[in-house]
Amino acid sequence: MRRTISTIWTLLEGHRGRYAMALLALLASAAVLYAVPMISQAVIDGVLLIDEERSTPIAKWIVATLGGTDHLRERLWLPGIVLLAVTAVAGLLTHLRTRFATGAAEAVALSLRDRMYDRIQRLPCATLDLKPSGDLLQRCTSDVETFRTFLAGQAIEIGRAVVMLIAPLPIMFWIDWRMTIASIVVLPFIVTFSLLYFRRLRPLFAAKEEAEGKMTTTITENLTGIRVVRAFARQEFEREKFAGTSGAFAKADLVLYARFATFWATSDLLCFLQSALAVGAGLWLLAGDRISVGTFFFYISVIGLFIWPVRMMGRILADLGKALAAIDRIRDILNTPDERFDDATEPFVPQAEGGVSIEFENVSFAFGAGATVLDGVSFSIPRGSTLGIVGPSGAGKSTIVHLLLRLYDYGQGSIRIDGRELRTIPRAEMRRIVGTVMQQPFLYSKTLKENILISAAGHLNDEDAMRNAATVASVHASIEEFPQKYETLIGERGITLSGGQRQRVAIARSLVQAPSILVLDDALSAVDTHTEAEILRSFRSRESQHTTIIVAHRLSTLMHADRIIVIEHGRVSQEGRHEELIARSGTYRTLWEIQTSLDDPDEPAEALATEVH
Amino acid sequence: MSGAHQDEDFKGRFDPRVWRRLVSYLGEHRGAVTRLAIGGAVIAAIEAALPLFVAAMIDEAHANGLTSRLSMIVTFYLSTFIAFAACVWMFIRAAGEISTGVGYRMRQDCFRKLQELSFSFFDTRPVGWLTSRLTSDCGRISGTLPWVILDLFWGSLLLAATATAMLIIHVRLSLIVFSIVPVLIAASWGFQRLMLHSGRQARRTNSAMTASYNEALQGARTTKTLVREERNLGEFQRLSTEMRGWMMKNSIQSSLYFPVIMTIGAAGAGLALWKGGGDYLSGEGLTLGRLVAFLQFAGVFAQPIQELAQRFADILNASTAAERVVSLLDTTSEIRDHPTVLAAMAATHAPDRAFDGGSPRIREVRFEGVSFWYKPGVPVLTDFNLHVREGQTVALVGATGGGKSTIVSLMARFYEPREGSILLDGIDYRERSLHWLQSNLGVIQQVPHLFSGSIRENIRYGRLDASDAEIETAAKRVNAHDFILSMEKGYDFDVGECGERLSTGQRQLVALARAVLRNPQIFIMDEATSSVDTATERLIQGGIEEVLRDRIAFVIAHRLSTIRRADVILVIDGGRIVEQGTHRELLAKRSRYFELYTNQYAVEREAELFGAPTA
Repeated sequence: MRRTISTIWTLLEGHRGRYAMALLALLASAAVLYAVPMISQAVIDGVLLIDEERSTPIAKWIVATLGGTDHLRERLWLPGIVLLAVTAVAGLLTHLRTRFATGAAEAVALSLRDRMYDRIQRLPCATLDLKPSGDLLQRCTSDVETFRTFLAGQAIEIGRAVVMLIAPLPIMFWIDWRMTIASIVVLPFIVTFSLLYFRRLRPLFAAKEEAEGKMTTTITENLTGIRVVRAFARQEFEREKFAGTSGAFAKADLVLYARFATFWATSDLLCFLQSALAVGAGLWLLAGDRISVGTFFFYISVIGLFIWPVRMMGRILADLGKALAAIDRIRDILNTPDERFDDATEPFVPQAEGGVSIEFENVSFAFGAGATVLDGVSFSIPRGSTLGIVGPSGAGKSTIVHLLLRLYDYGQGSIRIDGRELRTIPRAEMRRIVGTVMQQPFLYSKTLKENILISAAGHLNDEDAMRNAATVASVHASIEEFPQKYETLIGERGITLSGGQRQRVAIARSLVQAPSILVLDDALSAVDTHTEAEILRSFRSRESQHTTIIVAHRLSTLMHADRIIVIEHGRVSQEGRHEELIARSGTYRTLWEIQTSLDDPDEPAEALATEVH
Repeated sequence: MSGAHQDEDFKGRFDPRVWRRLVSYLGEHRGAVTRLAIGGAVIAAIEAALPLFVAAMIDEAHANGLTSRLSMIVTFYLSTFIAFAACVWMFIRAAGEISTGVGYRMRQDCFRKLQELSFSFFDTRPVGWLTSRLTSDCGRISGTLPWVILDLFWGSLLLAATATAMLIIHVRLSLIVFSIVPVLIAASWGFQRLMLHSGRQARRTNSAMTASYNEALQGARTTKTLVREERNLGEFQRLSTEMRGWMMKNSIQSSLYFPVIMTIGAAGAGLALWKGGGDYLSGEGLTLGRLVAFLQFAGVFAQPIQELAQRFADILNASTAAERVVSLLDTTSEIRDHPTVLAAMAATHAPDRAFDGGSPRIREVRFEGVSFWYKPGVPVLTDFNLHVREGQTVALVGATGGGKSTIVSLMARFYEPREGSILLDGIDYRERSLHWLQSNLGVIQQVPHLFSGSIRENIRYGRLDASDAEIETAAKRVNAHDFILSMEKGYDFDVGECGERLSTGQRQLVALARAVLRNPQIFIMDEATSSVDTATERLIQGGIEEVLRDRIAFVIAHRLSTIRRADVILVIDGGRIVEQGTHRELLAKRSRYFELYTNQYAVEREAELFGAPTA
């Protein structure tokens, strides 16, 4: 709890002044609001009835200030104007209160949203792997919203209830202590009642949410499985199922309505009880000529002013737990270390044009405490040359790429870039020199042009570079076929690209980067063989420009590499040039034989045909 | 968030036709509506009467002290409290009945409609988007409806009662106070318009922001490799700053609205104090109590107007939801039974006939000159012909996008041919009942869809009246029995949402058992492309053979074993059959089929070599 409060205090940093102003406006508006019944009281006692004897000192002062009884009797519009002015000022103060509180809350929400966004995009992959993205998304959206509502509304409402209740007490006691007690004695019960009642409703709220979840699941499952439903002609069955879950939801909701009915009716009664007590006491005192009509009127009006905030307070207090939990969940993310905490600070500059050299020496890696993914992998790639990596999925090919990009930190062994230990190269600098294309590349919901030029800092209009890269990646022609060409929007709000098109756009994107290392991680898998050959040909003509790593499944993709390694079970099982590898028996040659059998129509077909039966 | 591009442009117009349609849902709840109206009316009457009571009490106590008349008034005053609370209790319950009842009925109708609509409807609408029509849109409408009704009664009655009470107390004074009404209405109108606009903009920006968070999460790795963090944040900040702007605007508007209404109301009260006070002093028949009462009336006069304005804004806010729901309800299915078929279904038939009067058996299927397109001008299938007889398996092979899925979708009548026809035993299937055809289909998708619930329930989906023993027999026939028994709780194992707690291979086995239990006349299968571990693979193969036996079967085939045992193999490309024949015949041609076959052969050999799943 204390930690939560200190979190709130920290988050308010820079906006505390505004929040204090909101409190000030709150106090001032309370004072002004209470002035309204006081003026009415003064007018009733001092001008209309002239009840000098029982009138209160404040009322007398108000009358005197406004020019005295006789003066006012001539000019009854004057108190009317004052009343109007006071209401307007109270309104203005309420407005200021909201303005300051909203200002502070929105500013805090803004900085929280930005910080959360920045944090999640900088979380290390190892952390992201462990946290479901739905959960992270919820923390960024609904938790921040809950906290914002708390700052802009709930906290202020609680403050208002307290101020509205406490501010008039001295004056009320001063005017008439008996009436005061009669006006507030039920309030503690109202607050306690609503607090306890809403606490007890919590499981019902949870039950309703759960029922709603089940109903939503029925809908989603039905819609995703609509083909199964139709094919089995199970519409009636599905309707009954949905009637069940949506009926359960309606029922849970109805139960809550019934509880609300009881709550509001009871709390109405309690509030009426409060008014009735005050009216009863007032009538009794009035009949005994111990208070004035104005005083009586004053108390009735005052109760009207504070009873609503007090009544809401119980409910807000009961909901407070949600806001506090949201804050804890937000803090949890903000306190998770991200990639900005990098020991490496010394800048890195490649030694020469045309790529860098890469050396892996006895590198091992495991995800957390999980099974070993890489187990003593060693290889080296001279500057400007190409390494091909092949092996079954799950063998650790992609992990090599991930380590190189510092997406994960390697445990044992050494990785050296131009002779420098990778661990000492700042992440951002390393990634800037690597152009990466993954098997299922992610493209942003932007135009094709923006996507391709995304890593070309400051050259967003470099259309030549864009066209060149797209041409090398064999995607220029496809793009030109779209009605809006490079301005075509992709993603949720735009068009959907095929897997092969995405891969080629991603290749173009990485080429624009002019990288020292180009990594294709199974990046041509969805591209047809003909186009693939074309892309590889144009790559070879650029060979001297960067060091290249190609991870692939089709050997035709990497047979021209300067060096090829076969990775199996986290280890390098074979290494050499294509010609060397097919000369030796082993996994590579077997793969080669399987994959080339289709190019050689005669012999394998016989083998196949005999195998068929 | 899903489908943010569709319909998210709020029109916010008030369309009476849409709302009339929704109001028709209230028919079932006449009792609750009556109670709501009575509750609202009684409360309005009590609220209007309360100042009168206070006035009477003050006048009595002030003039005569504690009399029996005073105690009578007080008793009456107290009993109105109880009536008030009782009404509150009653109308909230009535509102609950209406809200949950209307919501329930509306959801049922939407759901029923979704079960009928043809697939072309689903092609363009994401599941998430449709789901929120049934969840949040229906919720918003049914949540708004009762309170609009209540406040309509309460507000207009309170307004009328207050006005009447004021007129009774003092006509001239009342007319003076009434002069503020047009100002109140104008102010409410102006503010509500502003608030509606900023509120919508805020919601729109908010969903863009959520999409952006989502992108940050989905694209985290790419962002890292491109070192895009700074610029991503910059783009996000534009959104979040815009969000703050709209939120500020909205709350500033609403924080101005209420004080403005209050001040206008106070102007009325001030006018009353000025003129009424004068009348009282000059002794023109206005007692102090009545003046106080009048002042109170003048003070609350603004409230119902403000409240009604609020409800009107609620209606406008819900109007987009209403339009979307009504348009869903009004959509008609493109594929439905022909009127003559409906007439045939209504008639009684001999026991050896199907329920639409046709033959219950399907002995042959014929595609005659079938053409199909999803989008005009982009043909997927052109003049396609095919003849399949009882017991035959047709394997469809070829590249993705060639039209294989379209052929099976047409067979299942998920879509109908644009040109040409599909004949079942010589009769166009459009002359048969849709339900009858689909009752005789067994379908297995590439990634089989299961429903949350137990394995047993999922298999029983194939035939709802199957006994547990029959379910087990079906599972045994497709080799699923052993794996099921190895699960915790066996057949009662909960598969989770969409079957997520089972592996793909296990889901396929369950789906096969479901299909076997179904015992369909036509079997349609889209074979999985991703293979599973070799042991499961072998089990699935056995299961598939069991399912295919003795029926008409269409298989979008990937596995060599399935392809080899097919009676007819169709190589589909560009919406046409490019090669047709048996495995041997086609292999001998050394053409397209040969290429596809050897390719797949390599893939499967590699999988064997590595002994692990491959793509």
